[in-house]
Amino acid sequence: MLYIKCPFCGYRSQKEFAYGGDGTIKRPELNQEISDEKWNEFVYLRKSPNGKHIELWHHVAGCRQWFKVQRDTVTHEIFQTTKMNEEIK
Amino acid sequence: MTNTSPLNFVHKVGKFGDTNKKIQNNILKVSEINGLLIFQILQYKNSSFDVSKIRLDGLSFPSSLKSTSNSNTRILWIGPNNWLVFSSVLDLLEKEKNQFNEADFAITDISHSRTIIELEGNLVNEVLKKGCPLDISSLKDGDCANSVYKGINITIDFISESPKKVRILGLRSYGESLHHSVTDACLEFGYDAI
Repeated sequence: MLYIKCPFCGYRSQKEFAYGGDGTIKRPELNQEISDEKWNEFVYLRKSPNGKHIELWHHVAGCRQWFKVQRDTVTHEIFQTTKMNEEIK
Repeated sequence: MTNTSPLNFVHKVGKFGDTNKKIQNNILKVSEINGLLIFQILQYKNSSFDVSKIRLDGLSFPSSLKSTSNSNTRILWIGPNNWLVFSSVLDLLEKEKNQFNEADFAITDISHSRTIIELEGNLVNEVLKKGCPLDISSLKDGDCANSVYKGINITIDFISESPKKVRILGLRSYGESLHHSVTDACLEFGYDAI
């Protein structure tokens, strides 16, 4: 069981959170031409790193906010959590 | 609109569980709170309105994970720029809504969509610990938190320390299930449903 620090509520049990996938994916800019290949990459293709990974998590049973988490996918150690408008250092 | 309470069919008055030979303070009291005005206030992200100027029934908006209250009204923080108000002053929203500009706030009356179960007694923390992952012992009156209780999303409002009293708020549609979970956890200690 992970113990995750929500930037708004503090440390809470993993039971209160939902995993939201890779936190580094950027949506293609609006009103720009984009190839099917790039769109496919954005929608479906994800890296599966062995080690540090920036992820999105949703405090779904808490303050209902999305935030970023830097977690080691091997040890599950959480290094940092930030609000969505902040950068992970 | 129906006035039937969410727990009308499940909350039975009486003593349940092991209540024999227990001193009165150790018997939990379980009650349903209904008939309150409940509304949610959300301040839009692009709003720069200073909420510290607002007084609702004389109460200011609480900071993170806190509540403010008087004898009629309680305001709970439930997220950034997001508050839950419940009050026995049923026309409070009507009287105070001119303080809230439509461009800055969304206000939603959810009076009929919540179940409120009130627990009172020395063993309240033990009941909460059975189903909720929060560090219950560290929370005191004036605190509030959203969490889960046996998998059901809830808001816990810590009302008083002596006697220990909390309110558990859940969605109306989960009310009967939440009531079952809470009373099942209370059975071990014995409870008085009032």
